[in-house]
Amino acid sequence: MSIANKPLSMTINGKAVGPLNVPDGLMMIDFLHEYVALTGSRLGCGQGVCRACVAILDNPDGTSEEIRTCITGAHFFQGKKVRTIEGHAKLNEKGEVVELSQIQQKFLEHYSFQCGYCTPGFVNAATVLVEKLKRQPVDKDQVEETITEALNDHICRCTGYVRYYEAVKDVVMNTPGLVKGSK
Amino acid sequence: MIAKPFRFVLIGLVTAILAGCGAEASSTADKAAAPASAEQVARGKYLARAADCAACHTAEDGGAPFAGGVALETPFGKLFGTNITPDKDHGIGNWSADDFYKALHDGVAPDKRLYPAMPYTSYRSLSRDDTDALYAYFMSVKPAKVANKEDELHFPFNLRFGIVFWNMLFLKDSLPDASTGQSASWQRGRYLAGALGHCAECHTPRGKLGQLDLDKPLTGGVLARIGAPDITPAGLAARGWTPKDLETFFATGVAPQGSAYGEMYPVIHLSSQHLSKTDLTAMATYLMGDKPPAPAPLKTVAADAAELNAGRQLYTAVCAGCHGREGEGKPNVTVAMKGNSTVRNADPRNLIVATLDGIKEQRFPNNGAMQEMPGFANKLNDKEMAQLANFLRASWGGQAADVTADAVKALR
Ligand code: FES
Ligand code: FES
Repeated sequence: MSIANKPLSMTINGKAVGPLNVPDGLMMIDFLHEYVALTGSRLGCGQGVCRACVAILDNPDGTSEEIRTCITGAHFFQGKKVRTIEGHAKLNEKGEVVELSQIQQKFLEHYSFQCGYCTPGFVNAATVLVEKLKRQPVDKDQVEETITEALNDHICRCTGYVRYYEAVKDVVMNTPGLVKGSK
Repeated sequence: MIAKPFRFVLIGLVTAILAGCGAEASSTADKAAAPASAEQVARGKYLARAADCAACHTAEDGGAPFAGGVALETPFGKLFGTNITPDKDHGIGNWSADDFYKALHDGVAPDKRLYPAMPYTSYRSLSRDDTDALYAYFMSVKPAKVANKEDELHFPFNLRFGIVFWNMLFLKDSLPDASTGQSASWQRGRYLAGALGHCAECHTPRGKLGQLDLDKPLTGGVLARIGAPDITPAGLAARGWTPKDLETFFATGVAPQGSAYGEMYPVIHLSSQHLSKTDLTAMATYLMGDKPPAPAPLKTVAADAAELNAGRQLYTAVCAGCHGREGEGKPNVTVAMKGNSTVRNADPRNLIVATLDGIKEQRFPNNGAMQEMPGFANKLNDKEMAQLANFLRASWGGQAADVTADAVKALR
């Protein structure tokens, strides 16, 4: 069976991309790396287990979710909105980082990562969690469980997870509106 | 759920029995109990695995071995596997070998009648030698002080004397075969699959009162959300199975036709992987017969091009990353879709359910594994699910692309 190309358009980090002529069976991570030069998403296991490749899918209803780009075809994203690790920090016109997202900032402050390979996935997962908590705050006594649940599937070979956990907890506890009763 | 008329029938039966018979006389006359030898205990242990006693009698989340507590959902309510350790208060510590035999052979325990969820319909064919070995083994395990859970059956099924009548109607001395054979291996397989492995309990369809439909042995049943497929020789061959592949499947949980999932997954772990090679060969021989039919070659089936294409798009979008662009699968990651036993099943139920619900990560003997499959219930709508299923069926299953959105909806 020959590989057919098809036009593909989507919104990545707020910018319209495409239509580009993209092979039918290409996985999203390869599309990001090879077609739009967004190389920040990491290919780890390539089979949906480690979550290093996780990007954020923005649903039309305003919710966001993690999506594994290594096992999701690029054409799945036709007409959809996606955010990658490159889309979190504020950049100036020259493309230089002028301000990190809150999650990124706290990951730095807490020395959350070492080699950094898993970090894009963790940043995206934590961001999805924060956005979810904005819509549905949790009770204070559920915070720890909620964070564990949100990050549990992500694998990190270096850190032992504690610092990731602490960074995310820092954000959750200190961002108004994520925990019930907080202002 | 049980249709109303049947409830009335059963209430009628129960009332008739109430009038007719009191307590069953329970004979306690026993064979003189000879002390168990180590050899007998070891044989009993093997038999307990072959009979998969742990599936119902050992609770999954670290429950003491054979202390019971496993919930069994039935159309009649919920039952719990009981404590069969030699504990005198909660287990079978006060039972004799005769009592034990009666429980397996007649479904009658010293203190009560057993519900046929305990597969005495199958165990009935066990030899006395083997029930004695099983008894010797269970009497040798660590007694567990674990109380039995109360069954949660709906009226009138919570009235145990109804079972007398059920037995009169449905308890047979032997179960019909789906295959033909004479060889010693076939005979042994018949005993392993029939009496011990009680395959029929899931793989033979059931009637309204939970009885096995003995006119259709091993043609498939749907007790659980994942149905038990047709395992007659014709049914297996139609899905590409050979005796050799079946044997591999029993030993490792994985074969070219797919990996064990649903209720079959624990069967591999608790039971079949522990059986000797000769016994596994025997089971495969019995299931497919002395003259097994040739596996059906995979054919592609014509279907509406636009629908197929839509299904293929969905497949490449959310399945191909793991199952491979051409459905070839990846060793220890995913099963192949091409020629997959579930895809080749004429009944699309399991294909749809697996796609909707996903399948948890699996570990198999010899370090085999399949990674977690996510469920797509929230990702694909009914129409898309049907298109995907139809693409798989027509392209790699040799089945008609006849799954409808309504069929998917009904399984959500
Ligand atoms: S690279 Fe995608 S989950 Fe591991
Ligand atoms: S920081 Fe190295 S894998 Fe997580």
